[in-house]
Amino acid sequence: MSRDQLTLIVVVALFTIVNGVLIANGTIEANADGFGLIVAAGVTLALYSFLYKDNPLFKLAEHTYVGVVAAYEFAQVWYQNILSDIINPLLGRSSLPEPIWSILVPTILGMLLLTRLIGKGVWLSRLAFGLIVGLGAGLLIPRRISAYLIQQVEPTITAVFAPTGFDFWSLFVLVGVVSVLVYFSFSLDHSGAVGGVSRVGIWFLMISFGASFGYTVMARLSLLIGQLTFLLQDWLHLQLPLF
Amino acid sequence: MERLLNLDRRFVYLVVFVGITLALLIDFKLPVSATANVKAVYDDIESLEPESTIMISFDFGPSTYTELGPMAKAILRHCFRKDLKIIAVTLVPEGQGLTQTILDEIGSEFDAKYGDDYVFLGYKAGNEAVILNMGQNMRRAFERDVAGTPIADIPVTRSITSLSDLPYVIDLSAGYPGVEEWIQFGEERYGFKLAAGVTAVMAPDFFPFLQSGQLTGLLGGLSGAAQYEHLIGHEDQAVSGMRPQSVGHLIIIAFILFGNIAYFAGRSKQ
Repeated sequence: MSRDQLTLIVVVALFTIVNGVLIANGTIEANADGFGLIVAAGVTLALYSFLYKDNPLFKLAEHTYVGVVAAYEFAQVWYQNILSDIINPLLGRSSLPEPIWSILVPTILGMLLLTRLIGKGVWLSRLAFGLIVGLGAGLLIPRRISAYLIQQVEPTITAVFAPTGFDFWSLFVLVGVVSVLVYFSFSLDHSGAVGGVSRVGIWFLMISFGASFGYTVMARLSLLIGQLTFLLQDWLHLQLPLF
Repeated sequence: MERLLNLDRRFVYLVVFVGITLALLIDFKLPVSATANVKAVYDDIESLEPESTIMISFDFGPSTYTELGPMAKAILRHCFRKDLKIIAVTLVPEGQGLTQTILDEIGSEFDAKYGDDYVFLGYKAGNEAVILNMGQNMRRAFERDVAGTPIADIPVTRSITSLSDLPYVIDLSAGYPGVEEWIQFGEERYGFKLAAGVTAVMAPDFFPFLQSGQLTGLLGGLSGAAQYEHLIGHEDQAVSGMRPQSVGHLIIIAFILFGNIAYFAGRSKQ
């Protein structure tokens, strides 16, 4: 027996013993809720075990998670959309009667997407994809230009010397935007004044990457804190903080 | 020095794990103060008239619950305390069960009555199309709530026919669909004030929207939730999470410093 196999057996045995003790002393109830708690704790530990090494417990938890999420999402889409938006209106159970074509046409177009699974009928799916791409572009392009360009340009070009006085942060934003744009102007030779400005742009970019990384560290630690709190408080029933 | 630079990454995980576990087990206080972006959300809700109807979109699932769950609870507590009427929706299928649980938990704390004080319209597929649909005709986008009652018969939603009827919308988002879609297809088209609560990873991407006024306030990650809990005077999960969070940050900073010192010391030897 290899060292990894032995470790796996010891971990599973320890987990079983801990749960046995928790059930025996009444900390975890021997019912569906208690079973759910044990499964959640087991899956959490199995997923974190990847940090040590890839192993069968991690693989089991990963595949179980994918399967459960797929089933859960299907159930939500079935009850909240297919049943309420297609089947019920077609059967006349809707309180807002719609013309039948306004339900049938989108439904047929949606079903055409599934023809990608049929070798010879794949061309039919292009009709639906064409509509999706056209509609998506038509909806998105004006909204994107408005939200990401027009609305963003205004605060960038706010007067540095406003009637109320000198605005340092407007100058800061202006310098940042201009220097980063110069850095990404690859048709210019980055030497002399242009090189100097693009170097300022690199500093702005580095600070921005640092801020993003800092926030990412914060997010990942938050998730770890959440899962550790679940293990200590909900599974082991410890009253946090202990000391 | 070479050995230190090639330190097994599992050692880093172990130190972070032990540090955070100890910080969870041992009690010590750390000051929490609200930033202007978080305070802006608080002030917006404070400025709303009692009985005003607002919408909260719970666009997150279990994977980001640790960050967005406490945020949702703190905002709901504030809204119920202010006697605001809440319309809850979710644009992600994983959000359905979580939203229901959060609403039930906080609603029962304030004896809020379903239908009179809050309503949950559930999940609808279509991402940004759902936002557009709600703007055009709320009753067509969500004909019924999760319990199957027509929304025209529910007191909270009876007078709401479009997103334009809402003074304030808060999106709690963990990705797509989320804040960007609410800005493009909601706030810009239908003119309501929009605030957001996002995961810490996403937060830096939304600062430009604050500056342009497209967002009136922003809560970022567990820290944003802790600040909001502090503002409403109900310190809960997020504030107690700041203890291990700060310890975790100190450990990461120590490792970054250690790595840099070891690197430069090794280079100067060469």
